[in-house]
Amino acid sequence: MLWLALKTLFHERGRLIITLTGIIFSTVLTLAQVSMYLGMMGNATGVIRHTDADIWVMSKNVQNFDFANPFPEERINKVRSMPDVIWADRLILTWGFLKLGSGGQEQVQIIGFNPDTGVGAPWKMVSGSRSDVKGGRYMIIDRTSEKRLGGLQPGSVWELNQVQFKLAGLSEGTRSFTTAPVVFIGYNQVHRYLTHFVRDDQATYIVAKLRDPEKTEETVRALREVMKDNDILSKKDFIKKTVLYWTVQTGMGMGFFLTALLGLIVGGAIVGQTVYANTMEHLREFGTLKALGARNSDIYAVIFSQVGINAVIGFFIGSILIISLQGSVEKAGVSLYLHPLLFMSLFLVVLLTCLLSAFFSVRKVRSLDPVTVFRS
Amino acid sequence: MTPILRTDNISKIYGEGDGKVIAVDSISLELKKGEMLLIMGPSGSGKTTLLSIMGCILHPTRGEVIIEDEIVSRLHEEALPDIRKRYFGFVFQAFNLFPSLTAQENVELVLRLKKTPKALIRQMAGELLNKVGLSKRASFYPSDLSGGEKQRVAFARALAGGPPILLADEPTANLDSKTGLEVLKLLREMAEQDSKAVVIVSHDPKAESLAHRVIFLEDGRIG
Repeated sequence: MLWLALKTLFHERGRLIITLTGIIFSTVLTLAQVSMYLGMMGNATGVIRHTDADIWVMSKNVQNFDFANPFPEERINKVRSMPDVIWADRLILTWGFLKLGSGGQEQVQIIGFNPDTGVGAPWKMVSGSRSDVKGGRYMIIDRTSEKRLGGLQPGSVWELNQVQFKLAGLSEGTRSFTTAPVVFIGYNQVHRYLTHFVRDDQATYIVAKLRDPEKTEETVRALREVMKDNDILSKKDFIKKTVLYWTVQTGMGMGFFLTALLGLIVGGAIVGQTVYANTMEHLREFGTLKALGARNSDIYAVIFSQVGINAVIGFFIGSILIISLQGSVEKAGVSLYLHPLLFMSLFLVVLLTCLLSAFFSVRKVRSLDPVTVFRS
Repeated sequence: MTPILRTDNISKIYGEGDGKVIAVDSISLELKKGEMLLIMGPSGSGKTTLLSIMGCILHPTRGEVIIEDEIVSRLHEEALPDIRKRYFGFVFQAFNLFPSLTAQENVELVLRLKKTPKALIRQMAGELLNKVGLSKRASFYPSDLSGGEKQRVAFARALAGGPPILLADEPTANLDSKTGLEVLKLLREMAEQDSKAVVIVSHDPKAESLAHRVIFLEDGRIG
């Protein structure tokens, strides 16, 4: 019956184009929304995911990575005293203003990391090295900020909170959820020059690596006992907390979800409407098929094959469109997380939507009396 | 000769009580191979209903339809598509060809439904179109064929898979007089040369002279 499905489908090109338009629209909108959401969540959790630590210590009630509060850095000793901790290190997350060549200024997210260990450092460098920030007023800026900040020439000097820093290197793929450019500086330099938010004896995070990651929960519980003024989270829980904050508490997740759902509904409605109209127009043919000895299941196979073929072609074109748009969208500062798993999952969702949209057509065929074929 | 199809006192009743309509009323008949049976009668006399029951498209309310000693009217709805595939070829008044398929493909469709080996489908469909004189129009779509040509494609389709019984509902209704006569002759030829049992429902007076046997229906009964 696939043979008949293909013949009929490609014979009626106008209807095919309308159906495909619906599926392409649905695919592009849904893929864009979901990949944008995942991209933003990826940005929001990038430093946590790329830092090779099992445990994160932070001040009480921190809701997400970007909104950290300082606490005494000497508490690192309590972390280091845990039996399973191999190493512990401090991080500072703060904010500042970078003076631009144009005379204006741009708010930036500043991450102070230990250049000797590289803990919390940018994970991909395109120019220079992480250790280049050591021992002076040096910084690394992410290349994706170039459009906002202007030409990022290694060696150029920038004014950060009225202190001059030399651009030592460029990272890639580090973005904050808030879209503010990310600047990496040596931990000690933050203490020395950028004390507007953190004092020189404070940190915003302590991260620790365990000998046996299986003992994470046990160590977290033990740390909570001795560090009552801090929140202690495993890496997984901190990622989860950050994602939940941006998704649920800000309502942003619902916004993305509703738009993606709308895309599916509109696409499904277009497909359902055209498939149903197609079925109504071909009722006599379906009746003839029944009279000639076809079973209902044979006719369902024709309808579902057509819907399935439409879904495959429409999703393929939609995917190509979104992939070809990715470069320009990202240049505009929006991250799209386009992973093969996302394509596979969304294809199943789009296929399911299309198959469900054929429900009324199938119902119509089931109740079709083959006697109708004798009516002229 | 043993009849290939028998109807034993079949009736078809629609509705109940005062709204009851008896479309077919206690009809018994026999159909033999090589025979062309013509069913005539005024509109609403039950001709098409009788044809539908004979073709296992419609269940009779009462009575039995027997094909080669098998009482098919007692079979479950699910079993009827296979019976239709095995025994019947249908020709419809409005041709009922698939507009998205060429003449050749319309014939191939039935062969595919009947699970004919793939290697033979093309050849068999070509032979059937040749038989009805349409081999040169095999690649044409129905929209590019005349009424007579469409009906010939419908005949080739009805013959596909070699069913022993052909049921034709008003096969000449949408054709001009000359083409109609050709079609009727073709049906008779199929009955006599191919030993098919052919049943025609028609108002066409020309059919009367070509049929081996004629029955008249009136108010669902044989007159």
